This record gives sequence, C-alpha cells and structure tokens, in this order.
Amino acid sequence: MGPPDATLTCHFCGQIHRAARLEPGEKARCVRCDTLLAHGPRLGRDAPLVFAVTGLALALPSALLPFVTAGKLGDHQSCKLFTGVAAMWGDGMRAMAVLVLVCGGLMPIALLASIAVRNLPDRFRALRQNVRPALRLIRPLEHWAIPEVQVLAVLVALVKLHSVVNLQVGPGFWSYCAMTVALLVAQNSSEYDSDPADNASGEPAPASS
Amino acid sequence: MNRLLPGFQLKSPATAAALSVAAAILLVPANYLPVLSTDFSGQARTDTIYSGVVELWRQNLWAIAAIVFIASIVIPILKLLGLGWLLWCVRRPVARNPRRETKIYATLDFIGRWSMLDVFLAAFLGGLVQFGQLSTVTPRSGIVAFGSVVVLTVLATQAFDPRLFWRKHGSSPS
Repeated sequence: MGPPDATLTCHFCGQIHRAARLEPGEKARCVRCDTLLAHGPRLGRDAPLVFAVTGLALALPSALLPFVTAGKLGDHQSCKLFTGVAAMWGDGMRAMAVLVLVCGGLMPIALLASIAVRNLPDRFRALRQNVRPALRLIRPLEHWAIPEVQVLAVLVALVKLHSVVNLQVGPGFWSYCAMTVALLVAQNSSEYDSDPADNASGEPAPASS
Repeated sequence: MNRLLPGFQLKSPATAAALSVAAAILLVPANYLPVLSTDFSGQARTDTIYSGVVELWRQNLWAIAAIVFIASIVIPILKLLGLGWLLWCVRRPVARNPRRETKIYATLDFIGRWSMLDVFLAAFLGGLVQFGQLSTVTPRSGIVAFGSVVVLTVLATQAFDPRLFWRKHGSSPS
C-alpha cells in the first residue's frame, strides 16, 4: 500500500482517488469518467526506467547516423534526422522547422528523460525532488512528443519515392524506430497515466482500483 | 499576462473557441495553397493536400492515399467539429452526458497528433530529394498554413477543460 494520505487526481474530470498499489494486469479507472488512471506494472516495476534509458541511448545514433540515402543516375544524397529541419529553415519556413525539430527530436528526448527521472530508484530521491519543477514544465508539453508520426511519415515517403529514386534505409532510421518503440513501451509500462508528481501528497503514489 | 490582457485565462472555453476559429480560418489556405512542389526528371508538379492524395490513389498507392487522406483532411475537420460540439455542450446550463463528452474530448486529444504527418513528410522529402536538375522536392507555403492548423487545434484542445462538464453536472470531486 502507498502512504495513507496519497491521492491521484483524474486529469479529465478532477475526481480525487485514494491510492493503492496495483498488481500486474490490474487497472485503475476513474470512478466518475472511466478514464484509465493507472495500471499494474506489465513488464516489471523497472521497465519504464530501463526502456527510457534505452531510448535515450538510441537518441544519439538516431541524430548522427544516416537516415536514408537516395540515389539517382549515380548521384547520391544522404539525409539525417534533422536534414529536413535544416532544409525548411533554409527555405524560410523557420516556424515549421522549429515545430518539426521539437515534435520529432527535442520533446521525445525530454519525455524519455522525464520518464527516466520519475522512475529512478528511491536512493535518487533527492535528484527526483530537485528536477520536479522541470518535470512539471515538461508535463504539458508531452503532447508534442510524436516520434511515431515521424516514423509513419518517413515510411509514407519511402513508398512514395521508391519508383523514382533508389533508396537505402540507414542505421539512423532504425535507431530512431527503436527509440520510438522504447518511448512507447516506457510510456505504456509506467504505472501512472497522470504524473504522480501532481498528487496532493506530493509523493509518487499508486492508485486505487 | 493578466496585466497585459485583463480577464484573459489560458485554459477557458473562450480561449479554446478563439483558437478553434483561427484554425478553421487557416484550414482554407491550408487546403487551397500548394504544400509541395516536385520535379522528377523534368516532370514538375505542384500539389495541394487533396491533389497529393488523388495522385497517390492514381498511382495505385491506395493504403498510403488513405493514410494521408485521414491524417491530413479527415482528422483536422473532425477535430474542429468535435471541439465545436464540446464548446456548444459546455454552454448548456446542465451537462447531459458528461461521461460521453469526456470520452469525445479524450479521443480528440489523441487523434490530433496524427495530422502532423504531412508536415513531417514535407520536411523529410525536402531534405532528402535534392538532386539539382534531376529531382527536387520543395515544401510550399500551404504547409505553413497546414502546420498552423495542427498547432492551433492542439492548443485549442489543451485550452479546453473537460472538468467543466462535471462542474455543470453537479457532482463535486470527493
């Protein structure tokens, strides 16, 4: 059981729930609006931290290694994760370049870091407390972390282009796909669908089922 | 912020309505202006979102055409209609079915992100296909309008507080 005064607030309807630790497979839904609030750890309690750290480790090769190489009549053009951002910036579409950079690169990394810190073991409690203001800032921006949409866009582009240029998918794209999977698994294996830092008690707390 | 704009609230139906109206207005240039210019071996064409979908369909890339059609045309319109419906519901003196309205809100909140597909697509193609005289792809001004629609609809969803349905319903958090 969690601390006796620990609570979890539904971010859709504002209903406050008493906290309780959930077993694997158990789900806690809001008694009022039926929103999923929390679920028992599906892959073990350390899974969110493990996958978040894996995702962070994959972020570097995603950004630095070639994404896709296109060839036409002996000429080759290689692009990396942010080549499109630079091209848009160069074309004067700076707001769109920043949007792509934020949604496809910066926010996924920030979200992975946020999940990793939230799930650090208890001996890092001091660090968790220190970065709580930063976590609160990241929370409303999580909507903008959408690497899965970028992966789908690249797949659509590859299908669209395969008849006009020769394409070779590079290690950067595979790293980015793996980072995206790691982020999705880390998000879905987290016990909380809302940030436990928002709890009234101020401590991470399990939810009632 | 409040000193500059007295009475302004970041999370309110009025803010959500203003952002939705701005998105609805920008939806016109987003669909009317070209989003992408392509030149493959001298065959140049400029596409709007819709003509791009038609071209994909014509090339027998039906699944891709369906994905782009849903992400770039259906979802923005559905999202604006949904937000309009929720804003109308919140104006009623008593919430009729707050659970259903909360579910609609959660769905709109989830689907909005997929509209970014076309923006990512334009950025990726513009960065990859630069072969001088042989082949080039250039994003055009329509993508700025479309990207703005996506951003405004996401902000409108975030500005809308679904707790209003429950306050009108009369049940207070326990």
